Amino acid sequence: MNKEDIISSGLLELYALGLASPEERTQVEGWIIQYSEIKQELDAIENSLKSYAQAHAVEPSHSVRANILYQISAGDTKNIGRHEFENGVTSAKVYRIPAFFKIAAAALILLLIGSVILNYNYYNKYQSANNELQTAQAKMDQEHTANMAMKTDINIMTDKNALPVVLKGTPQVPDALAKIFWMKNTGDVYVDPSNLPVVPAGKQYQLWAIIDGKPIDGGMISTEKGIYHIQKMKSFGHADAFAITLEQTGGSPTPKGEMFVISKI
Amino acid sequence: MPEIKKYSEDELVYLLKNKDQSAFAYLYDNYSGALFGIISKMIENKEQAEDVLQEAFIKIWNNFSAYDSAKGRLFTWMLNITRNLTIDTIRSKDYKKQSKIRNSENSVDNISDNTNAASFDALGVRKHLTLLKNDQKQIIDLAYFEGLTQDEISKQLAIPLGTVKTKMRTAILELRKVLQK
Repeated sequence: MNKEDIISSGLLELYALGLASPEERTQVEGWIIQYSEIKQELDAIENSLKSYAQAHAVEPSHSVRANILYQISAGDTKNIGRHEFENGVTSAKVYRIPAFFKIAAAALILLLIGSVILNYNYYNKYQSANNELQTAQAKMDQEHTANMAMKTDINIMTDKNALPVVLKGTPQVPDALAKIFWMKNTGDVYVDPSNLPVVPAGKQYQLWAIIDGKPIDGGMISTEKGIYHIQKMKSFGHADAFAITLEQTGGSPTPKGEMFVISKI
Repeated sequence: MPEIKKYSEDELVYLLKNKDQSAFAYLYDNYSGALFGIISKMIENKEQAEDVLQEAFIKIWNNFSAYDSAKGRLFTWMLNITRNLTIDTIRSKDYKKQSKIRNSENSVDNISDNTNAASFDALGVRKHLTLLKNDQKQIIDLAYFEGLTQDEISKQLAIPLGTVKTKMRTAILELRKVLQK
């Protein structure tokens, strides 16, 4: 292509408008170095387009100028949209943290971790100590209860009004023995079942008072948890005899089960 | 009033290559209006358009070492940076299509009086521009103000791709003619 053809092709115009393809751009850049006429022609085209743009100029807001100049002078030329910048929406701000604060922060974090570990240890120790304390307290309560029961037993046995009645084993169970403490002043009846045989499951001892030849229910004897302690039964003003039978749990209105011990007054 | 300095294009280029901030301020004062005019043709929202203008000038400042005066005029280089950023913005997914759909006739009529280059007789030039034929304005505007490619221009004007070059040539020759009056 000679110079005239190049000039009249329209390629220079497209180049000036930024519309040339990469190959065309390379071509044109070669020509403008090679031929001063082509460089002059391109200059003229570019100047006319510049004038055309200037004729259509629109004034931007004043803040744009200030912001651009501020950014280039601050060396802060990241692509921050001006309006984002003004609204503080951007998170692109970088805060520099002095080394002292970094070290202090690291130390604080270490302290915190240490504290957490210590807390964890102490908490575990506290838990086991608390468990031990509760066990000990439960044991103490139990012993206190047992102690109180024993005191009650002794009080009954040593009561000056207590009339001890020994119920002897029947021929079927000669080893069985029970005691009744009958309060002469009040008619209260206490039974000590500690020498009765162990109660089979589903059964319970029942006390009877024989009055005028008839057995009257004297109450059920508690042997719960295997504790055969002295306990208060129903009161009787008078009775001819006392007997204990083995009945179904909960008792029976009339004696049905095997009689273990009996005593006449 | 501070003395208003004037730089030749060569001086300006030399100073900007050496990161001279007052030369950059001068560059902004002389060309921001023309560049913003072009952005505004494509992006209607003023704040968004100003964001692009700011981005363009920052890029011009940062990349100034890439400018080669042997390959073209300073304004052409700045314009291409600006237009590419504008097109990128329009095509980005964030950008909500707000730019008005204009036909090329009224794009030229829609002229602002806010030109800032005191040395440039915008009114006088605009009077000359009225001498341009509508179809000549149209093809220049499609390329210049709408950022269309050769291919898009040929489709828009329903002319063969090969004739876009010659039509553009004729239109710009006519522009040069009316500007010389």
